[in-house]
Amino acid sequence: MGYVTAEAPTRVELATCVQCGLCLPHCPTFRLTGLETASPRGRLMAMSAVLEGFAEVDDVFVEIIDFCLGCRACEAVCPGLTPYGRVLEGARAEIATQHPTPSRRLRRWVLGRALATRGFVSAATAVAAVVQRLGATWILPAAVRRSFTGLRPLAGRERWIGRSAEPVADPLGTAALLAGCVMDPWFSSVHEATVGLLRRAGYRVVVPEAQTCCGALAAHDGHASEARRMARRNVAAFAGFDLIVADAAGCSAHLKEYGHWAGDVGGAMAERVRDVTEVVAELIADGRLPRSELPRGPVAVQDPCHLRHAQRVVEAPRTILRAAGYEPVEIDQDAMCCGAAGTYAILRPDTSLELGRRKADQVRAAGSTVVASANPGCEMQLRSLLGPAYRVAHPVELYWEAVVEMAGRVPAEVDR
Amino acid sequence: MSLQTDLIGLLGTDRVLASGLDRYLYGKDAGVYRGEVTVVALPETTEEVAEIVRIAARHGVPVVPRGAGTGLAGGAVPLGGGVVVATTRMNQIFEIDAANRCAWVGPGVINLDLSRAAEPYGLHFAPDPSSQSACTIGGNVANNSGGPHCLAEGSTVNHVLGLEVVLADGDVLVVGGKAPDPIGLDLRGILVGSEGTLGIVTKALVRLTPNPPDVRTLLITFDSVEDAAATVSGVIAAGLVPAALEMMDQRMTQAVENWLGAGLPTDAAAILLAEVTGDTPAVEAEADVIRAVATEHRAREIRLARDEAERALLWKGRKSAFGAVAQAAPDYYLHDTVVPRTKLVETMREVYEIGERYGLTMMNVFHAGDGNLHPLMMFDASEPGALERVHAAADELVELCVRNGGVLSGEHGIGKEKRDLMHLMFTPVDLDAQARIKEAFDPEGRFNPEKVLPAGSRCFDFGRPIPEGAWI
Ligand SMILES: Cc1cc2nc3c(=O)[nH]c(=O)nc-3n(C[C@H](O)[C@H](O)[C@H](O)COP(=O)(O)OP(=O)(O)OC[C@H]3O[C@@H](n4cnc5c(N)ncnc54)[C@H](O)[C@@H]3O)c2cc1C
Ligand code: SF4
Ligand code: SF4
Repeated sequence: MGYVTAEAPTRVELATCVQCGLCLPHCPTFRLTGLETASPRGRLMAMSAVLEGFAEVDDVFVEIIDFCLGCRACEAVCPGLTPYGRVLEGARAEIATQHPTPSRRLRRWVLGRALATRGFVSAATAVAAVVQRLGATWILPAAVRRSFTGLRPLAGRERWIGRSAEPVADPLGTAALLAGCVMDPWFSSVHEATVGLLRRAGYRVVVPEAQTCCGALAAHDGHASEARRMARRNVAAFAGFDLIVADAAGCSAHLKEYGHWAGDVGGAMAERVRDVTEVVAELIADGRLPRSELPRGPVAVQDPCHLRHAQRVVEAPRTILRAAGYEPVEIDQDAMCCGAAGTYAILRPDTSLELGRRKADQVRAAGSTVVASANPGCEMQLRSLLGPAYRVAHPVELYWEAVVEMAGRVPAEVDR
Repeated sequence: MSLQTDLIGLLGTDRVLASGLDRYLYGKDAGVYRGEVTVVALPETTEEVAEIVRIAARHGVPVVPRGAGTGLAGGAVPLGGGVVVATTRMNQIFEIDAANRCAWVGPGVINLDLSRAAEPYGLHFAPDPSSQSACTIGGNVANNSGGPHCLAEGSTVNHVLGLEVVLADGDVLVVGGKAPDPIGLDLRGILVGSEGTLGIVTKALVRLTPNPPDVRTLLITFDSVEDAAATVSGVIAAGLVPAALEMMDQRMTQAVENWLGAGLPTDAAAILLAEVTGDTPAVEAEADVIRAVATEHRAREIRLARDEAERALLWKGRKSAFGAVAQAAPDYYLHDTVVPRTKLVETMREVYEIGERYGLTMMNVFHAGDGNLHPLMMFDASEPGALERVHAAADELVELCVRNGGVLSGEHGIGKEKRDLMHLMFTPVDLDAQARIKEAFDPEGRFNPEKVLPAGSRCFDFGRPIPEGAWI
């Protein structure tokens, strides 16, 4: 039967892989198993096999594709410029269409609908907050229990969506912030740091009311029409802003690919999207944000895959941490995935745990109890494995603390 | 019991792959040939490898070793079915003996991983194929692989002290060792470069080389390929053996730069990457010699890598070249031939001519220092007749190199790719001697059949004399 949807990987895309194998050692699942069938080259060849009619979208194919973390380490090292992330989403869309198992149907609804519905996320957050306060994690399904322990305290968090804030320096322009599906209710202190820093540098910050979840999780899991719908809604919500900032690496990476998900208007929006670390690092370099003289000791830098591999942003978080007075410590020269990988932590808990343990060991070996990670999924993964003796935070949070401290107190001018 | 059941009995279901798609994915390496895989086995120990070989013998099927599958000559591609023995899980470094500068490693250890592990001792594994981030020591041994830095250090054969090999009957043979000059027949030289046709390497004792105290890396830009090639000959004629001397032509440079963004000059006809290593005064002096020779040959720009980061970036560009060609066309065919350095200029000119004659874009990146050419022909396999044109052009290329006094394969091995061209290089006596060795090790022809030696090597049915002045 081959491929049946318009999302399918194309011959032109797949032909960019010349099977040189240079990506193999960078692939976590290949490193764990030594299997060609668990390597980027193997997965691309499997996609070609279906396209050429040598194979079907059957159970073997599904396993080959589903085992992939979507970390895109392979894409970053591929000298042939193979668009791995894109063809993976295409292959997943085929699987979701040809094998709509109950689990996939549920995921289509959760990732494609529920996350885009603010009321649902709020209700779920309220329930989770109660579970968290009571320490009643036993009522959760086993697969989510560990990730759950990596959450920040949920109760009493404020929301940023729909608000705006004026600059507290020479005006530089307006920045629009992506609130995110769970960033806003679960990680609002990251937003607080982002908004504080942007205002401090001279930006008016707007968090448009009409926006929704970026759609990354739906897209990665193959729910393409839902992902397109979310992309279109955001293109409308963010129209007219010159700078669009996201402070979760998975979201900024996906927004930058709106050209695929929402056509030309999406492409035009994508060009204006930056990850917060890129923006803040530039503002520091321009002297619009200060550098702290106070040494704060080492910080282990964890590179989220969708920042480093998908967006090729490597230096920015380090620049920010240095400006905060920290001394960045490298933990993994290959920047291998921590195993969180969005929904992967829940769908394939064993592999996720194995990779997470490796990463946690690397952090422990680095000799720092502070860890910087610019993505919520990685943060939860690390916190759940490192325990309370370690502090895991977004680089802009660590920097914002330093900025506030440099001002001696929370300055009135940066209060909302 | 079936072959598959026997293997599963030994290795369990996780380490035996037999579905159609699984076998398809193992049916190819980084070259152009696709083969037929019966079943894939992933052993972790020498004993398991020995047992796999015995099981295969019982079922009368061939055994084809496979490392990372970065080979370019189809060496790891089974031609008539068989058990593919993938060594990727035999990736243990058993011992690093810093005092004696050597290490015992599993065949599945990745080349670069070994150098990284040796780094704390100030040592590295010298053979550095451009695929070193991915290829395995087993594959390096089997193909006697070289790399940019083998110009001064020599290829893998110079860095293998000992081997543990599983033979055709499942026996385990250990040859060589830490002693500098092992007594008895030295079989290491026969096993290194045997491309999996004599046995399966299950452990290797490799030499580790001290990291050089200082290094200078120069990027030299030329307005003509001839000037670049003449500089290469000139540097060597000046009595220098640089650690590495690599060349890329314009198309290649453009593709690499497009991916890497390292500031390579995309308008240059050719660039040379030259590296000298040693003590500071020596490298300064040698770098000056290279500068002088390059200037004499109208070099447009000579850039010295400022620091280790820039040096690493330049090498990353060079070593990614094969992958980057995918930007130019869906398929490529890479050749690996050697010509004497003195013939470099004219050979290059003819290489481009062959490309033009067959309507194929040629991209060039190669180990210029030892005259090891890698002309890449770009094509689209889905275009009717394209592959035939490529093969015809490839045969002409090989003949060209042999005619100019060169050899068949610099480093990528013979595999299937050049098997039927062996008679260009070897006399019937040579081929017969090689076939006798094969028979002695593998009487039933079970290991990687139909590779390296052309059919009939044993019966004097080929014959063309070795070209005069062959440079090996
Ligand atoms: C981008 C790129 C750049 C390259 N650059 C270079 C270069 O600069 N220099 C160079 O020499 N080569 C180069 N190559 C070719 C290739 O990488 C080397 O030949 C490498 O040594 C192959 O290693 P592998 O682990 O991938 O082996 P494979 O491709 O898996 O196998 C190669 C051969 O070795 C045999 N083999 C593998 N393991 C064993 C074992 N344990 N026992 C017995 N036989 C075994 C196989 O049967 C096969 O015949 C390059 C390839 C690519 C794709
Ligand atoms: S994806 Fe890129 S790096 Fe990996 S095998 Fe294909 S061409 Fe090589
Ligand atoms: S995305 Fe990550 S897990 Fe998937 S093939 Fe690439 S490197 Fe491997």
